[in-house]
Amino acid sequence: MLKPLYRGLEVLLETVSMALLVSLAVIVVWAVAYRQLGITMAWYDEVASVLLAYLTYYGAALAALKRAHLGFPGLFNAMPLNTRKVLFVTSEVLVYGFFVTLAWFGYVVLEVMHGETLVTVRWASLAMVHSIIPIGAVLFILAETLSLPEAWQRVVQGTDAEAEEIERAIREATEEAEGRP
Amino acid sequence: MTVIIGIILLFAMVIINVPIAIALGIIATIGIGASHGIANLVNLPLSMFEGATKFPLLAIPLFILAGALMNTSSISRRLITFISALIGFVRGGLAMVNVGVSMFFAEISGSAVADVAAIGSVLIPAMKKRGYSKEFAAAITSSSASLAIIIPPSIAMILYGALSDTSVVKLFVAGIVPGVLGGFSMMALSYWFAIRYGFAREDAFDLRRLWKAFKEAWLTLLLPVIILGGIFGGIVTATEAAGLAVLAALVISGVIYRELDLRHLRKAMVEGIMQTAIVMLLVATSAVLGLYLTEIQLPQNFAKQIMLLTDNKWVVLALLNVMLLILGMFLHGAAAIILVVPIVMPLIKQVGIDPIHFGIVVTLNLAVGQQTPPVASVLITSCSIAKADIWAVTKTNVYFIGVLLAVLMLVTYLPAIPLTLVDLFYN
Repeated sequence: MLKPLYRGLEVLLETVSMALLVSLAVIVVWAVAYRQLGITMAWYDEVASVLLAYLTYYGAALAALKRAHLGFPGLFNAMPLNTRKVLFVTSEVLVYGFFVTLAWFGYVVLEVMHGETLVTVRWASLAMVHSIIPIGAVLFILAETLSLPEAWQRVVQGTDAEAEEIERAIREATEEAEGRP
Repeated sequence: MTVIIGIILLFAMVIINVPIAIALGIIATIGIGASHGIANLVNLPLSMFEGATKFPLLAIPLFILAGALMNTSSISRRLITFISALIGFVRGGLAMVNVGVSMFFAEISGSAVADVAAIGSVLIPAMKKRGYSKEFAAAITSSSASLAIIIPPSIAMILYGALSDTSVVKLFVAGIVPGVLGGFSMMALSYWFAIRYGFAREDAFDLRRLWKAFKEAWLTLLLPVIILGGIFGGIVTATEAAGLAVLAALVISGVIYRELDLRHLRKAMVEGIMQTAIVMLLVATSAVLGLYLTEIQLPQNFAKQIMLLTDNKWVVLALLNVMLLILGMFLHGAAAIILVVPIVMPLIKQVGIDPIHFGIVVTLNLAVGQQTPPVASVLITSCSIAKADIWAVTKTNVYFIGVLLAVLMLVTYLPAIPLTLVDLFYN
């Protein structure tokens, strides 16, 4: 039942993140070209920075879905199975607790920002721009929840996402090397 | 006392595998909540937003996108063919090619694991076929890949620059001489191994073959020229150079080589976005932690305590080198930079160390850290490709780690090595 939801969130996060990355590249190249022509784009710095923040939080949720955030699984995996299970639950509670706190206070801040706008783009309200924090936190919680069964499986098997990443990178690079001699 | 509790909590969370970025955020949240009350946690989302909007960090996703675009056009094959034609005729040629390709490849996808997999999957089997031991093949691939971290464009340098308010452009320039020095030293060590163990020569030097390989690869080689030329010429900033690199990569892969494989590009972009976001979330949560640490004046107190012991900058650099080397064994590069840099910067400034100089010292320490288990994903990837035991590889790799350490010592105690080019171009 969770599989289609996982895939749906994955497609959503990938699509939005890729659109953000491409927009970022277009804006920077555009700004360089304009500067060479002697035209200054006043909104460039501010808008590009906001896009980077959006990319950070959509990308962070995507990395959470794939359980790719940097950790230190070595010691954890060396522990006995039952200890691993208890520590995994503790770790998940801490992660959920942090993002629930972030989502709540992120929402509270939006109310304070009512009526303010970006400095260079007057139609963009500050509340809309900063809404990425509660939205990003909720997306992170969703991603963490949908990837929970797979993560639990890894805990039981004693493997980790980094080892799987290395395995995948080697497999793909080998296929690539063999496909393009 | 607060600091000790914070450190114990951080270690406890890291040991139970809470992602480091989130562990930093939790420590900051508890710290702010406990010292100023729950209502002050409104600073949490504000700092996490500000932390993710540092303008110089824009260069990270853009360099990664440029790398993804170039990777769709058989960049590794073209580079390997060209560098083989250039230096493969020397005894132990494939080892030299390995170092040369790594210096050009220089963390192009943003993921050191993906890069070492791309190079290693071609060169390690080729080296084994030509009679190199699997341990040597894995060691040279792994160490030369880590050397790439100090050759621009370097994500570690962009991160250091943003966190320490140091010019990323100057850091890029400062990394060139140590990078080339390390590359040539590794080649010299490979030559010594080649003589000792009778490694093979590749085809004899042939100017026509070199020209043919150059014609295939010159556009690939153009990318570093655009980046460094633009920066050296003062035409663009590091972020703008990254933007131009994207444009150049798009034209080279899509229009000239006509090899823009959209499926492959999408996969590389998604991988790059995740690498960016992983680093950026660390930056964002460390911004909140930074807010808390500044309030309790930890960086200032740390500087004061060290200054009570010594105010000799060379001794301070030695102490920091030891600390960074130990941290590098247990933490990924980005996490180590984010944890250490904001805390030690006041000390660096007080004892009169040039932040550019220190940036190269930090980056080199992290290069060594990528080679020292338990956290050594680059080394583990090389060993997996070579199907070699990590400890057996480490016995050979010790020599290459020695080269990295020698470069580190030279850079630490002869600041002219990284800084001469910077002075030449900017002072």
